[in-house]
Amino acid sequence: MIDIKQLNFSYSKKQQPLFQDLDCGLDAGSIVGLLGKNGAGKTTLLKIMIGLLLPTNGQLNVNGHVPRRRQPSFLEDLFFVSEEFQLPSISISNYVKANSGFYPRFDEKLLHKLIVDFELPETKSLQKLSYGQKKKFLISFALSTKCRLLILDEPTNGLDIPSKAIFRKVLAGSLDEEQLVIISTHQVKDVENLIDRIIMLESGRFIMQKDLYEISSKLNFSIVSSDEGEEVLYSEMVPGGYKIITPQVNGDSSVDIELLFNAVTQGSQKLKDYVNE
Amino acid sequence: MSRFLLLFKQQMIHNSKLMLFSSVGFCGVVYIILVFAQLSRDLEPLDTEVFLNSLLIFFIIFGILYTGHSFPAFRNKENTITYLTLPASVFEKFLFEFINRILVMLIALPLLFWLTFNLEGYTFELFNGLGFNPVGISDFIAMDNPMDEIPPWALEMLVSASFLIFVLPFTGAAMFSKHPLVKTLFSIAIIIAFYVTFIYIIVEPLGLYQYDINESELMLFPDNETSGFILLTFLAIITNLLMLAVAFMKIKEKEV
Repeated sequence: MIDIKQLNFSYSKKQQPLFQDLDCGLDAGSIVGLLGKNGAGKTTLLKIMIGLLLPTNGQLNVNGHVPRRRQPSFLEDLFFVSEEFQLPSISISNYVKANSGFYPRFDEKLLHKLIVDFELPETKSLQKLSYGQKKKFLISFALSTKCRLLILDEPTNGLDIPSKAIFRKVLAGSLDEEQLVIISTHQVKDVENLIDRIIMLESGRFIMQKDLYEISSKLNFSIVSSDEGEEVLYSEMVPGGYKIITPQVNGDSSVDIELLFNAVTQGSQKLKDYVNE
Repeated sequence: MSRFLLLFKQQMIHNSKLMLFSSVGFCGVVYIILVFAQLSRDLEPLDTEVFLNSLLIFFIIFGILYTGHSFPAFRNKENTITYLTLPASVFEKFLFEFINRILVMLIALPLLFWLTFNLEGYTFELFNGLGFNPVGISDFIAMDNPMDEIPPWALEMLVSASFLIFVLPFTGAAMFSKHPLVKTLFSIAIIIAFYVTFIYIIVEPLGLYQYDINESELMLFPDNETSGFILLTFLAIITNLLMLAVAFMKIKEKEV
């Protein structure tokens, strides 16, 4: 679905390149979490993937298209929910009437179901909705387009606690095997049980690209009273003890993405070597 | 074609309120100014001559304002992203904007002005009974044909140059994100100032006017009024096409 080879990008010739020789392959049928610190280039990478920014050099193929050409056949199969957005001052039903036709696989029944799930007022003007409600509508619309590539930039920002739970439920329940969802977020807890592949971006490079089952088969995440012991790959003090990462010995454990992210970005070489071996 | 119609439908639904308010606003401004014009003439009804003169002024001012706000999505980052990722080709988006901002304006502005002019005339007639003669097509036919006095090719040059008045702000709106009209006017002023200075330096300090070009004709250099108009028409058409091509390329290459 997405094939990135030796991709380089720089905002200007005078600046240091933001990305250097990026390589990545993503297949349909998965939900990918794109993680990185502020300024790591997550949004820039997403924009390159959908043709809003042009790479300096390298190869990029998305769904059989070169994104920079922005051909309609490419655009009708992708939907981008950006962190900041603006909606016209029309009702939800008019918005659907105006925009659904552009997406050949648009599922109106699904949209109505999602609108009900998110408790959105269908007749109210979009401008009169709160930021969270607008975001919920945009997510609902994005899922209803049934585009093969959905890109969500900080989708849970601005959502209240019940809405985050509904978001996880509707995302997991609305996708099919032909779709790829890329979620860029800092709120890893919001998407912890949702994503099945993690990509970590730092200093213009991917520092980790792994499926979650692969991580959980290699690493064990637990909370203990002491972080002593040779097998501890990484530890963090928390109230009541330590969160630790150790080699997996007894099958799977659920992955603590936040802990993993801290471990990888703070340079635990022992853990990196263990995971990548 | 169906995608272009979808784009048309989308823009109509998204902007119907704005279009309605803009039309009402335009008619309101025209109406108020015409009322003041009639009051300044001791309530004497406005005639066809006033109609034509005021139409020209309003058409140019409001036309530039309208075309100067083409590509409204480019005014902020969020809408630019939505616009660029909308599943339609660059050509379809460009064509729609060209039709909506230039062709529709060329028809709608005079029509709205004509309606407002007649409405204002009838309203005054209700109160003062001075007798208003509505302006219609027959009035233009009855007028002396001004084309008889215009030299050959002057009309073509006038049409091309008039078109350029609206194409320039259109292109400026594609190029500049913030305050496109102000920046366009400023850029044009700089370009004109540059050429005027350039020509002045050649003609005055360098003394080009002192040279006699003899009897022989210079290639591509007009030596009479008609060929002068032909050259200017040709230049205006080329500039129009070039500016439209620049606008197209700006949408095609736009990055956010």
